[in-house]
Amino acid sequence: MTAKTAPALRFGPVTRTDLVRYAGASGDFNPIHHDEGFAQSAGLPSVMAHGMFSAGLLASFVTRWFGAGSVRRYKVRFLDRVWPGDVLDAYGEVIREFMSDQGEPRAELSLKLRRQDGTMVITGAAEVVVWNMSQKSGRRLFENDHA
Amino acid sequence: MPNQTVIAEWSFPVEWAKAREFARAVHDDHAEAEPFVPPPTFPVVLTAEFIEHLVVDILNLDRRRTVHGEQDYEYRRPLHVGERVRCRAWIIEDRAKEGRRSGRMRVIVTEIELSNEATGEIIGYERSTTIETASAADAAT
Repeated sequence: MTAKTAPALRFGPVTRTDLVRYAGASGDFNPIHHDEGFAQSAGLPSVMAHGMFSAGLLASFVTRWFGAGSVRRYKVRFLDRVWPGDVLDAYGEVIREFMSDQGEPRAELSLKLRRQDGTMVITGAAEVVVWNMSQKSGRRLFENDHA
Repeated sequence: MPNQTVIAEWSFPVEWAKAREFARAVHDDHAEAEPFVPPPTFPVVLTAEFIEHLVVDILNLDRRRTVHGEQDYEYRRPLHVGERVRCRAWIIEDRAKEGRRSGRMRVIVTEIELSNEATGEIIGYERSTTIETASAADAAT
């Protein structure tokens, strides 16, 4: 059986190194994400995270839960900016289990990424195949995986 | 979707090193696994440049007022490392919307079809929502 909720997955604090690494990996070199002077001249308090960086973290939460290659749908809405120093918690809940037209057992998920102060950063939804579930519980993840 | 006007078409190989670099950047704990499956949001690496070109050069939106509102991936199967993917892009929505506090906004949804270049098999779709707000102050993300 599918666990109806996954333990919250904590990421952070977000560092400038995270943002530079994401810039390099994604090819998005908008200076607003790595150049402090540029960000401040644009009226921001500091550099800010790429929306897709945070969306990528939330997707990693899903693949950690259901396995690499399990995702058939992943949809996010960006609600607020993420800053260096932010600690983010990912939450997920299974809202429906069903058989797809292709005969795959699937789960529909509701997803959230929330900042430590409670602000919602991303809301999302996903559809995953349930053949490769990694049920992990009670762990604080992403804490020490910075290279 | 096949009835939409294709506004751009390009292709790229899904490279192991690039996809793994991306997986590490989003803290995907399968980044070191073999066989390696690229993360769900990896296609952004191959589509973001086009979206930027679309926003700035084709639609002539004011970059200071544009925000990335939503992103949506639909997969028939995961991307495979080593395959060459063909992208075809079209606009599925371009409408004006009254914001709750910010006045008139323009909402554009671009869809990019991802298919295997060799076989023509459709892998999935990426949909990206760009919003041009009424003023720069509302450009939140």
